[in-house]
Amino acid sequence: MRLETRKLLDQSFSGIGLIAILVMAAALVLILAPILWRGSKAFVFKGTIEHRRVMLEQFQRGNADRFTAEMEQAKAARTPVYEMMAAFEAELKAMDRTDRRDYKAPYREVEKALEVLLGPRPGERTPVLLRQQYGQTRWDRTQIKLHEALFSEEWDYSNPDAMGVLVETPRVNQFEGTQLEPLFHYLETRLVEIMRPKRTFYWQFITDTSKDSHIFGGIWPEVLGTLYLTLGAMLFAIPMGVIAAIYLCEYAKEGRMVSFLRICISTLAGVPSIVFGLFGLAFFLNTIQVSESKSVLAGSLTLSLLILPTIIRSSEEAILAVPRAYKEAALGLGAGRWHTVLTVILPAALPGILTGIVISMGRAAGETAPIIFTAAVSVGAPLKIWETLSQPSPALPWNIYNLCTEHEAVDEIRHVQYGMVFTLVAIVLLLNLFAILMRARITKKLRG
Amino acid sequence: MQTTKTQSLILSDAVSRRQHIGTWLGKSLLFLITSLSTLAVFFIFYFILKDAIPFFKLEGFKEFFTSTRWYPSGEPAEFGALPIFIGTGLVTLGAVVVAVPLGIAAAVCLSDLLPFKVRQIVKPVIEILAAIPSVAYGFFALVVFAPLLQNHGGAILSAGAWMILGPILALLVVVLGDFMIGKLKSKWSGALVFPLLGGLAFFLIYRLSSQLSGIEINSGTNALNVAVILGIMALPTIVSVSEDALQSAGRELREGSYALGATRAETILKTVIPASISGILTAVILGVMRAIGETMVVWMASGNAARMPEPWYNVMQPIRTLTATIAGDMGEADHVTGSSRFHVLFAMAFCLLAFSFIMNLASELIVKRSRKKLGK
Repeated sequence: MRLETRKLLDQSFSGIGLIAILVMAAALVLILAPILWRGSKAFVFKGTIEHRRVMLEQFQRGNADRFTAEMEQAKAARTPVYEMMAAFEAELKAMDRTDRRDYKAPYREVEKALEVLLGPRPGERTPVLLRQQYGQTRWDRTQIKLHEALFSEEWDYSNPDAMGVLVETPRVNQFEGTQLEPLFHYLETRLVEIMRPKRTFYWQFITDTSKDSHIFGGIWPEVLGTLYLTLGAMLFAIPMGVIAAIYLCEYAKEGRMVSFLRICISTLAGVPSIVFGLFGLAFFLNTIQVSESKSVLAGSLTLSLLILPTIIRSSEEAILAVPRAYKEAALGLGAGRWHTVLTVILPAALPGILTGIVISMGRAAGETAPIIFTAAVSVGAPLKIWETLSQPSPALPWNIYNLCTEHEAVDEIRHVQYGMVFTLVAIVLLLNLFAILMRARITKKLRG
Repeated sequence: MQTTKTQSLILSDAVSRRQHIGTWLGKSLLFLITSLSTLAVFFIFYFILKDAIPFFKLEGFKEFFTSTRWYPSGEPAEFGALPIFIGTGLVTLGAVVVAVPLGIAAAVCLSDLLPFKVRQIVKPVIEILAAIPSVAYGFFALVVFAPLLQNHGGAILSAGAWMILGPILALLVVVLGDFMIGKLKSKWSGALVFPLLGGLAFFLIYRLSSQLSGIEINSGTNALNVAVILGIMALPTIVSVSEDALQSAGRELREGSYALGATRAETILKTVIPASISGILTAVILGVMRAIGETMVVWMASGNAARMPEPWYNVMQPIRTLTATIAGDMGEADHVTGSSRFHVLFAMAFCLLAFSFIMNLASELIVKRSRKKLGK
């Protein structure tokens, strides 16, 4: 090969390596950006007056007097809407039968759309479902619902070869020449006064319970469930893992037994997480019955098995990284082996062990598959600490899955889904950041 | 006068024995706790197998592994899991195709090309990629990536073709051009050969990508979506393990190669990678295990259709995997504990378990053999 070609190849080789790194970084950014950006909108958004009403009535939060004053203004802006509707209803009654039939169905749609937008009409019975008692709480959703009120949507399947085409016709055309005609223009132009959007910082999203399966309120039961599960898993896994690491590093003599132990630990690390879930169901729940139904306890036990290998490995590494001289000095001063481990090796290895623990905490918090059959339910109240022994709990990872696949109003609560993913990712990333910083400090220290 | 209690340095028999027993007891306690993790492995195998065997007793092996009809709740129920196995294999293969070249290239770059400071920045990127919970990846695949694939599938595919084929063909052009110039030995051949080959390569990719951009993807939740996301999830494992392997090949080896006049690329390709091939293989195996055992992403974004893709390698169609079947069906099957429908899920779990166990053993064996070879 010619020298120039070899040089060119060398450079293109480096180029490919760099591209690979860039692709990886780009993947990270592409995945995190929508989660963080849209997730933050669960906390910071333009809330309408309906949001403040929910806060006041459901969570007893906010100034009642100021709210009443504001509501009066909103009501004043809403009155013409209802007046126009009443006028049209009167007009409808006076029409002959065929006209009435033509108008009735479109008018029902408008009525429904307005109920979704503004909440129930004044003077009507309060609906049973909480979600129907209030209008749109978020300004972004309000605008989508306004669009639905202004335009009727139909799917055109006339061309059998292509997919259906969405046809939108302004409802105003349907009601031309009636009393209802000005309504649409009024809604479009005066929506701000009707809904009164205001920048809202809803940090209580994390600490509020959910109302009417996440249509209103926050995600506290999920956050609490995740905390319980994670801490429970750590409670079992830390002592077992650290002790196993101490044994493997300080006591065991390399031989058949130890290499067998190591193979078992690496096998445990390789077991797919869903198999842990099945095992948890078959063993903890069906065989030894730690609780009657799914429970946080069973989930914690299953999770602890899952993170055990990680904790053992990282603790082992941390213990092995302690300079030999420390140990030899301690032994030379006459300390026993156990004494050496407790007073010299463990304190020196502690930051490293903690790093591993923090990372596996993140892993335990984010795992879903092991808790599906052992601990997680879709809807539940926040548990008291003693209830964790016998009761299942919602948990962030499970409810993210549940809300974006099985919830009856998936599109309506995108912000809640994003908010949950945001919270979970934030928890895990903060834990990892902590671990990265801690490790940087250890490396600095070891370098002197 | 001071009275001091003196303790003899030589312990009495009784004290010595007591200390001995204490040490022994403590040590056995430690051993017992350590072997709990071993016990856990055995328990997992035992309890999965215990509930898997009834299925094979009731339904036999043949239908499970060869039939393509999966109707566990039908009358009579049919348990042909072949499409599910194919689906699992398809997404795993796809993930390997995405992750292995990218991961090894990134690992080489990390270990041999980047300066120390940049490496300190890139490493956390890998760690964060590894730390993001699988359900967040699944959420991304379902809510962001799937609609994108569905609406702009062609554009994404052709962009992917450029990204993958571009570097490969560029390298090919360089090598082929060099070869042809060597053959032709004329003065102007260099100016002629490279534009010609380059143009040809460009034309090839252009044709392919314009054909790909015409493809319409009917459903964004398909094998391709999942394979890409699983590939990204397997990347950190592959990068970090193979980077360790490349690092441990040692400085002397590299310096020897440089001293013989090799370029960096030649050193890495012909010396460093062959020397650390066992570690890289282990990395690939671990990556495969990560992809095959992943539940949430495939459950949320693979479409969960238990039928054979047509043709079997078509990644644009919804598929279903073992893990997703277990996760999805257990909710219904749990009420019928004891039926084939319940036990078939354990049979699947056992297949997964056996596969990951074999893979694990294989990677251990590879490491052991390479250690022997290197005489460490």
